Amino acid sequence: MIDFELSDEQKMIRDSVGAFATEQIRPAARPADETGAIAADVVTQAWQLGLVSGSIPEQFGGGGDIRSAITGAIVAEELGYGDIGIGMHVLAPRLLAFPVVEMGTDAQKERMLKRFTGANFAAASAAVIEPHFDSDLTAMQTTAKRDGAAWILNGVKCCVPLAADSETILVYAATDAQKGFAGVDGFLVARNAAGLKIAEREKNMGLKGLATYSLTLENCRVGADTRLGGDKGINFSRLMSEARIAIAAFGVGLMRAAFDYARDYAKERKAFGMFIAQKQAIAFILADMAIEIDAARLLVWEAASRVDKGDDALKESYLAKNYVAASALKVADNAVQVLGGHGYVRDHPVEMWLRNARGLAAIDGIATV
Amino acid sequence: MKILVPIKRVPDPATTIRVLPDGSGIATDNVKWVINPFCEIAIEEALRIKEKQTGEVILLTVGQTTWQEQLRTGLAMGADRAILVKTDAALDQLAIARIIAKVAGDEKPDLVILGKQAIDDDSNQVGQIVAETLAWPQATFASKVEFAGDKCTVIREVDGGLETIAFKLPGLITTDLRLNEPRYASLPGIMKARKKELKEVAADSLGVDLAPKLKIKRLDAPPKRQAGRKVASVEELVQVLHTEAKAI
Repeated sequence: MIDFELSDEQKMIRDSVGAFATEQIRPAARPADETGAIAADVVTQAWQLGLVSGSIPEQFGGGGDIRSAITGAIVAEELGYGDIGIGMHVLAPRLLAFPVVEMGTDAQKERMLKRFTGANFAAASAAVIEPHFDSDLTAMQTTAKRDGAAWILNGVKCCVPLAADSETILVYAATDAQKGFAGVDGFLVARNAAGLKIAEREKNMGLKGLATYSLTLENCRVGADTRLGGDKGINFSRLMSEARIAIAAFGVGLMRAAFDYARDYAKERKAFGMFIAQKQAIAFILADMAIEIDAARLLVWEAASRVDKGDDALKESYLAKNYVAASALKVADNAVQVLGGHGYVRDHPVEMWLRNARGLAAIDGIATV
Repeated sequence: MKILVPIKRVPDPATTIRVLPDGSGIATDNVKWVINPFCEIAIEEALRIKEKQTGEVILLTVGQTTWQEQLRTGLAMGADRAILVKTDAALDQLAIARIIAKVAGDEKPDLVILGKQAIDDDSNQVGQIVAETLAWPQATFASKVEFAGDKCTVIREVDGGLETIAFKLPGLITTDLRLNEPRYASLPGIMKARKKELKEVAADSLGVDLAPKLKIKRLDAPPKRQAGRKVASVEELVQVLHTEAKAI
């Protein structure tokens, strides 16, 4: 059975988050791009939408909603329509909270989740990507070795959002390098743990409002109770599927923003006595952009629906993420093209979206649904 | 405090409105429907009053089954329950006001708070008629509302400034734009809204005279605005204002 109709609740979530993204996030995007800092009141307001706390079980003070990757994809798309950098910032706490909800032990839930149900934004993060040329999540170079009751972590990570402000960072490391995804575990490492060093903030081409860091683990010794899921460990493949769906959904939001902006511009801008939207050279570009958006969203939703059914979605989420990474770049570039010379100047947001879109290919695992 | 908030469903203010060729109404295909912005402000104010004191916020609307969507949105913002008075007829402001007054008579709220006008027909009279029908005090165009016991003080936006008036509950307030900024429905709020009570009542079961006194004969789109033109000098400007625009 196939049904693309959203539930009434999903429609309301789309409308509410979409209105917030349009009215609050979008105006904050350029200042964040220029200054590198996101307006605090936007972050607080986003937090109060319950984007993180809504899916924390009621016993820890959360909303107790059943998590859904489809709903998560809708939320990420809407936030991305406002700005993907700000969207990823406000969803970053999910990177730690949601894996704990889904795979943590009772003690870990007790210890970790309450902080996400307060009135104020609680930063948290996950460290996935590694800063070397052949970075491969199935062959992580960050390792965790057992030492009695403890674990010793070694390695280097990059693109860790909000690392400097997070009390705890979920660090992924290989416990068995031979097993690929199955040999990866997550560790709830306190930011001030001995052996964990957070470097200066990274200077990125786009997503400039989103603070990301690299970090080094040097014989970082953590207790057995920090291993996510305890002795059972985690399903890393599922967590990465959820991450890729989120990143892809953010990209769909960016594409929609670029398309809407270019279309509206083309309907207002006159050249040679007619609106440029009436010229085939422009109309064809706009039509291609619209096709990309729908195609990308369908890939995202297919992957998300598999996650929601409990099926393996590694392939589908990978296809969605890769497709979006390429098509978001194309769509953002087309938006710059439709605006002509205006597209290249900072008075319009499309050049910013083009830089942000490039980031979608470079990042992995820094958002989740 | 028990607060009744009547709301109206209107086209999204961002929607481009097209009048039907025969002038009988507007084209409703592809129109996104939302809560009237002034009504949203009324819901927000009611929620803030409830959060400061205690009490109950009841939403009310008069319309078709699809109007449930806007009631659910209000419930997601935090209202406690909702009433849909169902009718397929296009009622005029007087009939709507009579229905609201009837429901207020049954529910006995301490306060009725609603938007000063709807952005579709801009009629600005339902609140006033409801208050008159109930013989309650009314404070229209509120930009600030405060309570001390059963005394309500309202700052109103009037031509040329602000006016402060006070009345004893029960009473009625209509909201102006600057009263507050409505919240966005939160994700947990949206999920909880599904479980809240939404009661449907048939309009013709209320025993209220619904016969329209007002008939919309036809709608016309405003004339297209002409492009401006540049003049070369102040002298020419004065000349044109005098001879063509006849403004001076």
